[in-house]
Amino acid sequence: MTFSPKYSLPALALLGLTLGSCQPELDDNRPTADAGQLNFSSYVAVGNSLTSGYSDGGLYNEVQAVSYPAILAQQFAKTGKGPASFVQPAFSAAKKDGSGYVKLQLVNGAAVPVQPSAANNYLGEQVAYTGTNAAFPTELEAYTGAQPDNLGVPGISVLSADKTASSTGNAVVDAQTRGAAAAYGSLNNFYQRLLPAADRTSKDYVTYIGQKTPTFFSCWMGNNDVLTYATAGGVASATNPFSGLTDTTSFGKGYRNIIAAISKNGTVKGVCANIPNVTNIPYFNTVTVTAVAAAFKAANAASPGVFITTGTATAPVIRLATSADLLTLTAQGVVATGAGSTPTNPVPNQYVLDATEITTVVNRTTQLNAIIAKTARQNKLALADMNTFFNSIASQGIVTNAVNNTATFASGNLFSLDGVHPTPRGYAVVANEFIRVINAYYGSMVPQVAPNDYRGVLFP
Amino acid sequence: MTVKTLLLAGGTLLVSASAASASGFQVNLGGQKNIGMGGVGVALTLDQAAMFYNPGALAMVRDNGVQVGFNAALARNAFIPESGGGQSTLDNKLVTPANFYAAFGPKEGKWKIGIGAYTPFGSELHYNKNWEGRYSLTDINLRSIFAQLTASFAITPQLSVGAGLVMLAYGDVDLQKDVPLTAQTGAPTPHVTLNGKAKQSFGYNAGIYFKPSDKLSVGVSYRSQVDAKIENGDVRLRDVIYSTGGNFTATNFSATLPLPATASVGVAVMPNEKLTISADANLVFWSAYRTLDFTFSGNNGYGDRAATATTPAVVGTPGLLGGSTTSSAKRYYQDALAFRLGGQYKVTDGLTVRAGGFYDMAAVKDGYISPETPDADRIGLTAGASYEFGKRFGIDASFLFEDFLKRSQSQSDLLNNGTTDRVAGTYKTTIAVPGVGLYVKF
Repeated sequence: MTFSPKYSLPALALLGLTLGSCQPELDDNRPTADAGQLNFSSYVAVGNSLTSGYSDGGLYNEVQAVSYPAILAQQFAKTGKGPASFVQPAFSAAKKDGSGYVKLQLVNGAAVPVQPSAANNYLGEQVAYTGTNAAFPTELEAYTGAQPDNLGVPGISVLSADKTASSTGNAVVDAQTRGAAAAYGSLNNFYQRLLPAADRTSKDYVTYIGQKTPTFFSCWMGNNDVLTYATAGGVASATNPFSGLTDTTSFGKGYRNIIAAISKNGTVKGVCANIPNVTNIPYFNTVTVTAVAAAFKAANAASPGVFITTGTATAPVIRLATSADLLTLTAQGVVATGAGSTPTNPVPNQYVLDATEITTVVNRTTQLNAIIAKTARQNKLALADMNTFFNSIASQGIVTNAVNNTATFASGNLFSLDGVHPTPRGYAVVANEFIRVINAYYGSMVPQVAPNDYRGVLFP
Repeated sequence: MTVKTLLLAGGTLLVSASAASASGFQVNLGGQKNIGMGGVGVALTLDQAAMFYNPGALAMVRDNGVQVGFNAALARNAFIPESGGGQSTLDNKLVTPANFYAAFGPKEGKWKIGIGAYTPFGSELHYNKNWEGRYSLTDINLRSIFAQLTASFAITPQLSVGAGLVMLAYGDVDLQKDVPLTAQTGAPTPHVTLNGKAKQSFGYNAGIYFKPSDKLSVGVSYRSQVDAKIENGDVRLRDVIYSTGGNFTATNFSATLPLPATASVGVAVMPNEKLTISADANLVFWSAYRTLDFTFSGNNGYGDRAATATTPAVVGTPGLLGGSTTSSAKRYYQDALAFRLGGQYKVTDGLTVRAGGFYDMAAVKDGYISPETPDADRIGLTAGASYEFGKRFGIDASFLFEDFLKRSQSQSDLLNNGTTDRVAGTYKTTIAVPGVGLYVKF
């Protein structure tokens, strides 16, 4: 027997080390990325602020770079049939903070959202305001590259996108609204910066998006047809034809024109997203009637509650708020100075979305979503039901690899500091929902992203 | 170039050494000779390690002796998340479970007493820095050392019984994870470490050994549950973001981890003097592990704010970690069975060779896999050898290779079970454990 322990032991140990260093490798059995019947070589995104990558009350390069269309383009590319490049209208490096954005700052040891303004030197941000156009003080640095693939324009609605949409039956109103839509490039600083000077008073958004020849598109329009009215506490501005709730006739006409323009009359495949119920966003659920009433009670035990202004500008109704009324995020400032504590100093109407207005907004959202669904169906387009998706987030949040993300302001990770627009994490979650819908409808296998790789709110 | 190759090339190293050789975070490395035989031992009287496998058999161990064993567990783990990202692995780390036994009794006497120390539970895993589950767990190091005082008595030449007083002599745990918050300053992700020592606590084991003939022996044994109770463990925080400090005020934690009972039966046949073949079945009562609950206390002052001209001084709420004074994670383990088979053959007077294998069923149910115990059904193969010099001294060598079956859970499993505090994906683990032992007989 030549088996010597002297040699066998090191041999055994060596065997152990060899086997031990044998890293198991998992076959990646996840479905291989596959575009299926789709061709993403020219993907174009149509939409408003949500599509542009707007966040924290502004459009700035950092979040624009992770807009949901940018994430979609990145994931589409993994199928091998994606866009070689996806162009977004970024601001120049020296003006990377674009329109500026809200930051949390420490005030007396607590984190408070602070708006950038000329007065606070834009919080040190490198904003892109030109400051050279006296007639249009919010003018931004023009985007001079070729027409981008992300065509999202913050603030745009269906009504303002189509110079033929307005069909209220009131000729005077329609003429004014259609005229404003045609000249939208001179009204909206984010649209203005995309257009050559010559087009700013004449080229409406439908014409602008019609210039693209996509092989696949996404369209998420309509939010501002209800949101602008809602975030203003149900108060429409007399001077802004796009500040009310868009009527269904005008919306239907405008929406069909938008889809026809980008889908080349239904010949290009794509996905439409509908309008989430705006009353679920932190903008309306952070400053609550209950909390404000409790604060008043703490200051004055006899306080009966929160007085709010409802009704119309000409016939205001002042009453005590109930939990069915919503206060805006922006109400924080006026409430802090005592507004709402007495009937003679009620919370002004623009900070209150009262129960009646909520019903009006929700009902209109339902009607507009029916139009979006029908248009998508008629054009054989996928429909991302963002209304249902955000309802689910509002009620139970969404967990991403052990991180609980909710619709809570700031700490919920999903909504940015304006209380309306997503954070990069929120945009990643939105992109995953788009991908899920696209895959289900077209049978493609576009991989989803890991939302935790995208940040939530930044804390000081 | 395939996607897989790319993913592998881009994958970061994630390394772990984990519980070797038994379900959950049990470590079945009781004695070097037994390890070589697939971990059998309930019906055997190989050496003093009998007091671990079956204290009833100790009285039948022929010699008095002292022995030590060392093992080097090298675990490798791979994880592929359900969505996003490629394969991650663990940082390679060597874990060295050891065992020590000494037993004495009168020559040809009916009784024997012994002392022992061993590490029946433990787990050490260090996941790579940015792996998908980092908000669930980045690192775990769970260690336990048991000491045992044993007495065994042969009632007849065929039947012996024994019992041991088992003490959790030393136990500690170190759990770490990242906190999903991002700092404006670009500071690193906040990180929490829970580090604590277990209080000493006691349990017992007992067994019966019966050898009706030279060719057959049987045994049963039982080891009781011991709770590892941690009081006043340290909460260590790194890179907490100032404005969120009010949610991270805890300095201490307490928690209890059950180290479950095990019941075993075994049978051995000795067809001739040179050959022994044995089979064991173990039942580990893992169902005692329902939830992992932490209670936090103390105040580190992160939530305190000095008074300003307009606001009074604020004292932070004490005992918060992530805004809560407690946390509870579902474990819902199930009792786990293991089947073991092993044999030894005495080649010469000095040399004995061994081989064995086992099939060990998972304690963690489907949809409950957490990164600290990526448990799965596992198959083990073992080999070993002993060489004895002059009937006095000997050296044991053992080798164990364990292959965990691939195990997956989806996000919808996690949602259904309410276990979304962990990650969806597929785990695969292998462990190799070379070991060496020395013994003296007298």
